[in-house]
Order: sequence, then structure tokens, then C-alpha cells
Amino acid sequence: MSDNPASILFAMEKVTKNYGTIIALNELSVRVSPGAIGLLGPNGSGKTTMIRTLLGLIRADSGSAQVLGIDVRREPLDIRRRIGFVPEDECLFPGVAGIEFVAYAGKLVGMPAKDAMQRAHEVLDYVGLTEVRYRKVESYSSGMKQRLKLAAAIIHDPQLLILDEPTNGMDPAGRKDMLALASDLAHHKAMSVLFSSHLLPDVEAVCDHIIVLGAGHLLVQGDIHELKAAHQGGFEVRLKEDGASFARYLTDLGCTVQRRGDILLIQIPPNSSPAILWRAAAVTGQQIRHLRPQRSTLEEVFSNAVERSPCPL
Amino acid sequence: MPIIDQGYQHWSGRLAGHRWRWLAITRHGVKIAMRSYFLRYVLLVAWVPALVLVTTLSAWGLLERKSKLARIFSQFMQFMNPGVIADPRHYRAEVWRLAYGYFFHVELFFAMIVILIVGPGLISRDLRVNALPLYFSRPLRRIDYFLGKLGVVGTFLGMVLIVPAVIAYIFGLLFSVDFTVVRDTFAILVGATAYGLLITVSAGLLILALSALSRNSRYVALLWLGLWFVGGIGSSVLSAVHQQQRRYVYHPASALRVAPPHRGAWGATPAVQEPAVPTSRNWRALLSYTANLSRVGAHLLGTNTAWEKLSRLEPTARGRRSLLARFGGPWYPWYWSAVVLAVLLGLSLCILNLSIRTLDRLK
Repeated sequence: MSDNPASILFAMEKVTKNYGTIIALNELSVRVSPGAIGLLGPNGSGKTTMIRTLLGLIRADSGSAQVLGIDVRREPLDIRRRIGFVPEDECLFPGVAGIEFVAYAGKLVGMPAKDAMQRAHEVLDYVGLTEVRYRKVESYSSGMKQRLKLAAAIIHDPQLLILDEPTNGMDPAGRKDMLALASDLAHHKAMSVLFSSHLLPDVEAVCDHIIVLGAGHLLVQGDIHELKAAHQGGFEVRLKEDGASFARYLTDLGCTVQRRGDILLIQIPPNSSPAILWRAAAVTGQQIRHLRPQRSTLEEVFSNAVERSPCPL
Repeated sequence: MPIIDQGYQHWSGRLAGHRWRWLAITRHGVKIAMRSYFLRYVLLVAWVPALVLVTTLSAWGLLERKSKLARIFSQFMQFMNPGVIADPRHYRAEVWRLAYGYFFHVELFFAMIVILIVGPGLISRDLRVNALPLYFSRPLRRIDYFLGKLGVVGTFLGMVLIVPAVIAYIFGLLFSVDFTVVRDTFAILVGATAYGLLITVSAGLLILALSALSRNSRYVALLWLGLWFVGGIGSSVLSAVHQQQRRYVYHPASALRVAPPHRGAWGATPAVQEPAVPTSRNWRALLSYTANLSRVGAHLLGTNTAWEKLSRLEPTARGRRSLLARFGGPWYPWYWSAVVLAVLLGLSLCILNLSIRTLDRLK
């Protein structure tokens, strides 16, 4: 991560936030570059508190935080002018049509009324709510409400868009649309996205970078592709048959063998080559149907990070 | 499907500063509230007393100028003391004060109705639909939120109280064609505006505080009705009991006696328990929220002073007392009511401060 302030989206330095006896953030330090960032963590890990701290909505007990180079503690309003936020909850201003809802969101940020209305039409077109813009928001489906909140969050063209569990409770088609919009904004519209979700495939579909929190600590942070990089000396093998003798043979040679369904995850000793797998197959009379270097899934990265957590989660 | 799908466009306009951000909330709230037919109807009816006030002040201007048109109005002024009609310019300020006093007396009722329609949902609806994150995740402070919501109540109360009062004043000036009117009555305009603002701020913050107590607007409306009616009824009942008790307790300074029917210059007086001196220590009216507003309003408009001056036209002391007992008052110190209103104001601010604490809390 570069130390150049211009290249830092947000940075937190030993931020601690307590709610009575509950420690929401525990000396959390993190620096993130612009891009699409996934925020992962089990329930109560501090994701929402971190988002609220970045928005300047809560005052940390100690530590410092900066968003887009602005101090959160000193200029929270200035930060919120540059951020769009899609809250997790179903929160809508009642009794208004979709277009009014989005235009009102723009006026609350400080847009002139005319610009807000014009821009509301544009962003509603973008999120695919053109046809229903004059309908009361109460009559929208869950997916439409989420897209409406997204439109309200991007009306002022923010530099950073924060999405808190944006696909919760959505049907597959709506979820797909939402992910496509978030990904498009992050990758083609020069808007940084902080995507908080429990759903790892959603994070993987949108983000390039992840932050994993646990008990208010930073557990893992990095580029998704790097975190999922091939394991040194690790292989996935699927055999035609059960392969118990194959596994035993490799274990005797000093390999570590784990079974995951019909796949064997094999870690060969550091000074060995993959040739021992072929030799083991020849010796035990097995047919290898599938062999490739072992890569972690995002789920494994997440699970390992949580398991390695120094604090009970 | 749109003919041309523009996709996402960047916006490069300028955002306004924070100073007037609350106005966006007010405008939105007023726009939503004005969709209610019932509210529009009430606002229309609430302007009828304003028309009466305008007519009264204009008629008095004509009377001062001894206009022929004034003869039409003089038929409706038979109830007034002939001394007042004979020298309208001398009693100008008093008549204006009393006209404004009666105007606000009626408009206070309409103000309560308007608040009942507009106020309960202002915060409770936001709480019910969890809309606070939508406000506070934007560059808004709590004070902006409260000011914006208060602005909604203020707009409607201004339409009912302050705007008609100012318009009536302008009409009064126009029909007087006398610059001394400004000298005599400017304090009334200031008092009327101050009274309108007092009602707006006090009742506005009170309904916001009540609205912040519940997610259900109906409960808030019931609380408001309770505060309005129960306080008023309690105050009236206690005052009646107090009056009854005073009938049997002799006190040399404030003895009561039953007065026989008496016809004075201001019309027939029924046989009432007439206070020998005004009951300046009767605190029972303090229980009523609207009575407290009225008492401070009477002080700001100077209606009691006006009645005292008019009572001097009565030939007998009994007549004067009778006049003051019927029309003047209440006579307890106005600052008692001001203290009650200040306490309610503080309580409202405390409730708002505790109920709406941005998002610095666990779910």
C-alpha cells in the first residue's frame, strides 16, 4: 500500500470504540487505496461501527481516521458530502414518489433543486427504475428499494460509495442487478466502493480487495487474487476410485493429505516435486482424473482468518 | 425503455454550504403536508378570524377619519362604550390591542389544530420507517434536522398567526392615513409577532418532542390532544372549585360577594361571583398549556392594560370591577406562565436530545 496521501482512500490508526463493556473496534489500524473494497467479518465484528466511523457519525474513543484525506473527527460534514451511503436497513422517506425521494436526497446533500431533479432522473435511468419513478416508494419491491437507495446515494456523484449489506433479502435477479451496478460503478465509473456483506460470492463479484474484521481487529487485508494465490506445494487431486491406498502412500512419503468431498488436498514436502503424485498413482494403481495447484477460495481465506483470530469471536 | 440510455454521467455542479441545509427538510415537509385536503381546509378556515381582524382595524381607521363608510360599521359597535366611539383616536391603541388579543385567542385554537395535523408524524414517521440514517449519513447535523422539522410547524403556524397579523397591521395603517398610528401601534405589531413566534417555538418544539417519543403518529396525536384538553379541563375544574371555596371564606382583601344583575355601558352583567379585587394569586390556569400561552400573549399584546384604561370610562367602581372581571385577566403574574413555558421548552429539548442521538449507538 502506497503511503502517498492522495492514493489512500481511507486510513484508520489505532481506532478504538466501546459501547459500554462492548468493544466494537479494538485499536483498528487499516489503510486502503481507492478501488472496490469488500468488508467482511462475522456478526459483531465491527463492520457497521467502522462504516459509521468513516462517515463521521460516531466519535471514536481513541485513534484517528481519515477519509479521502480529510480528518473524520474535524470535518465529518465535508466527508459526507463526498461519500454516498446505502444503509442496510429498509429506510425510505415515506409518502413520496421515487423521483422525489432521490431528488430530496440530492437536496439534503446541498444540490440546487433544479440540478437535484435533473440528476434524479439520470440516476434512476442508470439503476433501471425509469418506468416506476413516479410510483410511491412504499409500493416498490425489495430489489427496487435497494436500487432506489443506491440512486439516492450516488445522486451527488460521490468519490466513495459505501454499501452496507446491499443484497440482503433480494431475489437472485435483483441481487444480480445490484452486483452489476456496484461492479460497474467501481470498475468503469471511477467510484471507489466499500462493499460490506456476509455473502462472499457477492464480495468476490464486485471487489478486488478485501478487509476481514473480527472482534474489532483487522484479521486479513489484501488483494483477493493474491489471497487466493496458489499454495506453495499444494495440489488438488481427484481419483477414479476411493484412493485410500494413494493417500496412505503419500502420507508415508511425508505429504499431508486432507479429503474434501471427492477431492484430496495434498501438501507435498518442500523439497519434493509433483512427480511423486504420479508415482504414487502408478504404485497404488489409481487413475488421476483431476490435478491442479491448490488455490484458496474466498470462503477459505475468510474462515482461516477468523480461525486465526487472536480474540474469541 | 428509454430511447437513449445515457448510462451513468458524472456531476460537476457545486454543493451549497451547510447554513441553509435545514431548509431542504422544511420545504419537503411542507410539500408533503400540503397534500392533505383537511389541512388546506383548516388553513382556509383559520384565515376567517384574520379577515375579521383586518375589517376591525380598517373600520377603526375609517371611524377615526369620520368616513361615511364608518356609519355602516358603527351599527356593529353598539356594544362599545359611547365614550370610545366618541373619541376613537384616543382609544386607538386599546382597540387595536384588544382586536389582536381576540384574534390570537381564536387563532390559538386553529394553531393547535394545525399542529395536530402536521406535527405528530414529523419525527415519529422517520423513526417508524427508520429514515434517520438517510438524513445523518448526509452532511446534516442534528440541529439541521430539528430546525428543518421545526420549520415545517413554523411555516404553517406562521401562515395562521404571524402573516395575518402583519397583513392586518398593514391594512390598519392604510385605512388610517395617519402617521401617528405607527407610533401608537408599532409595539402591538412587535408584540403580535413575538407572541406568534412564542407559540411557534414553544408548541413546535413540544410537538417535535412528543413526536420523538413514539413511532406511531396516532399516539403522538393523542398525547397532544391530552396535553391540550386534559390540561385545560383540569385547570378549569380547579379554578371552579377555587371560586366555590372563596365564596365561603372571608378574606378582608379579597372577599367575594354576589353581585346583582347590572347593566353597564358594556352590556348586561349576569349575577356572578365578582371578585372584589382581581385574584392575582390564582395559579390554577398554569395547568393549561394554552392558558399559559395566552397569559404571556396578554402581556405581550397589553390587553389587560387596555381593559384597565377602558374600564375608567365606567362611572362606578363596581362597574369597573365588573368590566375587568368579565373581559380582562387572567391577573396572575405573566412570568409564572413564562416559567412554565420555559420548563416545557427545556423538557422538549431534553427529549429531542435523548431520542435523536444520530447513529452513535448499537442497534
